[in-house]
Amino acid sequence: MKTLVSIISLCLITLSVKAQGNYEQGMQKAFGLWGEQKIEEASNLFERIAAAEKENWLPYYYVANVNIVSSFTIKNRKKINGHLEKAQDNLNMAATFSENNPEIMVLQALLHTAEMMENPAKKSGELAPKITGIYESALKIAPNNPRVNASYAEWQLGSARFFKKDITPICEVLEKSLLLFEKDTPLVPFGPTWGKERVETLLKECSN
Amino acid sequence: MKSIVLFALALFVYGILTAQTQLSGKVTDQKGNPLMGANVFLYGSYDGATTNEEGIFNFETHLKGVQTLHISYISFEDTYLKKEVTLLNDLHISLKQSISSLEQVVLSAGTMDASDNSKVAVLTPMDVVTTAGALGDVVGALQTLPGTSSNANDGRLFVRGGDARETQVFIDGTRVFQPFLSTANNTPTRGRNSPFLFKGVNFSTGGYAAEYGEALSSVLNLETIDKPNEEEVNLQFMSVGGGGALTKIWNKNSLSFNVNYINLKPYQALIRQQVNFTKPIQIFGGETVFRHQFKKGLLKTYAALSYTDFELIQEDINTPEGVFLGLKNRNTYINSTYTGTIGNSWKIYGGLSVANDDTVIDQKNTAVDSEDNSLHVKLRIKKKIDNRIHIAFGAEQFSTQVDDNGTILNQTFNSILKNNISAAFAEARLNIGTSFVTKMGIRASHAHVLSKTTFAPRLSLAYKTSTNSQLAFAYGDFYQNPENSVLKIRKTLSPERASHFLMNYLYKKDLQIFRAEVFHKKYDDLVKYDNEDVNLSTSFTNQGNGKASGLDLFWRDGNSIKNFEYWASYSYLDAKRDFKNYPNKAIPPFATKHNFSVVTKYFITDWRTQVGMTYNFSSGRSFTNPNRSGFLNDQTKSFNDLSVNFAYLINQQQIIFCSVSNVLGFNNVLDYQYTNTPNANGVFNRRAIGQPAKRFFFVGFFWTISKNKSKNQLDNL
Repeated sequence: MKTLVSIISLCLITLSVKAQGNYEQGMQKAFGLWGEQKIEEASNLFERIAAAEKENWLPYYYVANVNIVSSFTIKNRKKINGHLEKAQDNLNMAATFSENNPEIMVLQALLHTAEMMENPAKKSGELAPKITGIYESALKIAPNNPRVNASYAEWQLGSARFFKKDITPICEVLEKSLLLFEKDTPLVPFGPTWGKERVETLLKECSN
Repeated sequence: MKSIVLFALALFVYGILTAQTQLSGKVTDQKGNPLMGANVFLYGSYDGATTNEEGIFNFETHLKGVQTLHISYISFEDTYLKKEVTLLNDLHISLKQSISSLEQVVLSAGTMDASDNSKVAVLTPMDVVTTAGALGDVVGALQTLPGTSSNANDGRLFVRGGDARETQVFIDGTRVFQPFLSTANNTPTRGRNSPFLFKGVNFSTGGYAAEYGEALSSVLNLETIDKPNEEEVNLQFMSVGGGGALTKIWNKNSLSFNVNYINLKPYQALIRQQVNFTKPIQIFGGETVFRHQFKKGLLKTYAALSYTDFELIQEDINTPEGVFLGLKNRNTYINSTYTGTIGNSWKIYGGLSVANDDTVIDQKNTAVDSEDNSLHVKLRIKKKIDNRIHIAFGAEQFSTQVDDNGTILNQTFNSILKNNISAAFAEARLNIGTSFVTKMGIRASHAHVLSKTTFAPRLSLAYKTSTNSQLAFAYGDFYQNPENSVLKIRKTLSPERASHFLMNYLYKKDLQIFRAEVFHKKYDDLVKYDNEDVNLSTSFTNQGNGKASGLDLFWRDGNSIKNFEYWASYSYLDAKRDFKNYPNKAIPPFATKHNFSVVTKYFITDWRTQVGMTYNFSSGRSFTNPNRSGFLNDQTKSFNDLSVNFAYLINQQQIIFCSVSNVLGFNNVLDYQYTNTPNANGVFNRRAIGQPAKRFFFVGFFWTISKNKSKNQLDNL
C-alpha cells in the first residue's frame, strides 16, 4: 500500500513539475524562435501558450508584439492587415486580463501607427490624436516606464521632423528613457524588456 | 534495491500515463493549395506545430480521449476539430478565407457614407471638412456626390428630382426638424451643425430602410462622436467671424462644447455684393455634446442653439425701389439617445429629440411670427437570432405644432397647426452564405392630421460577385405628409407618395471605389393647387404626379499618385412632374439634367500644405419665359464653378486655411425674373438672378491647444 502511494505521488509530482516547467520552457522556446526570425513559429507558440494559460496577459501580448513588429517589414497591404487584425484580437484579450496596463497601451499605439501607414494623409486625422491620447494615458499610469517614454518620443519625433521643429527636447526624453532602461526590471517573469536598442539608434540620429 | 524497483515502476507508470499519440495532417485553403505557417494545436495544451511548405504538420501528445484540435492562420477563419486524439491522424483540413468587414456583402443600393469603417463609405469624415467649396458644410460636401442636383441659389439637398423638403435630416437617428439656417430668397443656406462633432455621415439617395419615413427622396443621418480622443481647446479666427471649442474628458464622461459668431458686415463692406443688405447676416451658434459610457451602453445628449438675423432690400423688376425683407430666427434643438445591449443578442436604441424654432419675418405690409415646436421619440430593438437572421422592430412618434401670429395690411391673424404622426416598423435581415444578403421591412404610419394610415413595404438585396465587387437592388414605397403651409388650410388630403427602384454596382479595392446606380422613382398623390400662392381660397387636390429616372456614377482613387486623391461624380436625371400650381407636366427648375463634379486633394509634403480643388457643372435650370407660350418653357445657361482651397499646417496645433469660390469668375445665371406687364413693344423685360457675389473669399486661422506638448512631459520625468 505504502509503495502504491509512493508510486502515485511520485508520478503526480513528475507530471506537475512538467506542467509548471511547460510555461517557462514554452516562453523561452518562443523567444528563441523569434530570435531566429522564425516569426510564424514564434507567434504560433505564443498563441498556444496563451490558449493553455488562459488568463495570463503575457502570451497574448507577445502574439500581438510579434505580429506588429513583423507587419513593419511586409509590403503587401492585405497581409499587413491580416497581421494587424491578429495583433488587435490578441491585444484585446491581453487587455481583458490586465486592465490599464501601460505595456499593452504602448503596443496599441504602435498598432495604430502601423494602421496609419496605409495612408498617412488620410488616416492621420483619425488615428494621430488617438495615438497621442493612448501615450498620454500610459504616461499618466507609468511615468517612468522606459517603453512608454521611448515609444512616445519616437512618435513625436516623426511629427517634429515633419513640422521641422527643434527635436532637442525629444532627444532629451530619449536620453532619459535610456537611463530608465538601465533600471528596467520586468514586474513579472517574461515581462517586456524590449526597446533599448531602438533608443540607441534614434539617439545616433539626434547627435547628427 | 527496493527504491530502484520503485523508481523503475514509477517511470513505467509515468510512461503509460504519458504515452504519446501521433497527430498529423495537411492544411490547405479551399482550393487545395497548401498553407505554410498555420498553427495546429490541441486547444488548452502546449502540444502543437506549425505547418511546413507542404502544409503538413506532425506532433505528439500525451493527452487522451476527446480533444479539440485548433487550427489558426492569418486571414483565414479559425477552425476547430473535436475528436478522439487517436483519430486526429492523417487529416486533411481545408481552411476558409476570413471575410473582413470591408469585404462583406452589404446592402449598398442608395447608400453612401462618409465614415472610416464602412464598405459603403465614399468619403471620410475629414473629406467633409477639407472639400473645396464646401466651407465646412456637411451638405456642401455631399453635393459633390452623385444623385444630388446642385442648386447654388438654395444650398439644401435636392436628390434625384425631388425638392429639398423630400430630404430628412437626422442626428444619431433622431429627426432634426430645422437642419438649415434661415436665408433670404436666392441666397444659399448652410447646415446649422458643425461638421467637427460628427464621426460619420450616412447619406441615402433612395431605397432606405423601414426605420425611416416621412421622406420621399432621401435621408441624411449624422452620427456624433462616441468618444473624443483627448481634451483640447480650439480657437477659430475667420475673415467672417470667430469661434471656440472645448473638449473635457473625465471618468466615463466627456463633454464637447463649441460656440461661433459670424458677421458678414466687414466682409461685405470690403467686397461688393449683388444683394443690398441693410443689416448683413449675423449668426450666433452654440453646440454641446455630453456622453456617458455605461457598462452596457452609451448615452449621448446633443444640444444646439442658433440665432440668425439680417435685413435687406431685395431687387425686384416690378418694384424699382426694391422689396424690404427682415428676418430673425432662433432655433433650439436637443436630442438624447441611448444605445445598449441586453444579454448577448439584443440591442436596444432609444432616442428623443425636441426642437423649438421661432422665425419673425418683416415685409412691407406683412409681419409674421411663426413658432414651431416639434418632438420625435423613437424606440428600436434589434435581435440577432443566429448568424444568418437578424430582426429589428420599433415605433416612433412625431409631433409638431406651428403657431403663426401676424399682421397683413394691419389685419391681425393667427393659426395653429398640430401635425402628429405615429409609426411602427419591422425588418428582417437574412444572410445566405457569405455572398447574399436581403432585408425585408414594412412601415406603418398614421398621420393624425389627415386621419390617414399608410403601409410602406421595403426590400433590399445584395449579391457579392467577386472579392471586390457586388450587385445590389432596392425597392420601397415612401410617404410624406404635405407641407405645413398646405396643411394649415386643408386637412382632407392624403400623404404624398413615391416608389423607388434602384440597381447598384459597387467595386471597392484598397483606395479605389467605383459605384454605378440606375434608378427609377415614381411620384403619386402629390399636392396640386390652383393659385400661384397658397391661401385660404386655394383649392387643393392630390392629383399631382411625376417621375424621375437616371444614372449615377462615382469614381474615387487615392492609390495611383502619391499624396493625390480625387473623386468624380456624374448624374444623369430625367425628371418631370405635375405638382403645386403646374398646369402640366414639366421639368422643375431644381431637377437639372446633367450634374458633374470633380474634387481633388493634393498634399505637398515639403510645404505641409494641402491644395484642394472642386469643379461643379450642372446643365441649365428651367424657367418660364412669358415671351413664349407654355410653362417652364426655357432654360438658363449651364452652371460652372471652380473653387480652390489651401490648408497650411504651421505646426500640429495651428492651421491657416484659405478658400476662394468661382476663381474663374463664371457669370452664372440661376433664374430670371420677368416684368408683370409687357413693355411698349409687347415684350416682357427680365432681370437675371445670379449668385449673391461672384466669388467668395475665406481666410481662417485654427488653433488647437491640447495638453500634450513634449515640454510638459519633460517636466514629468
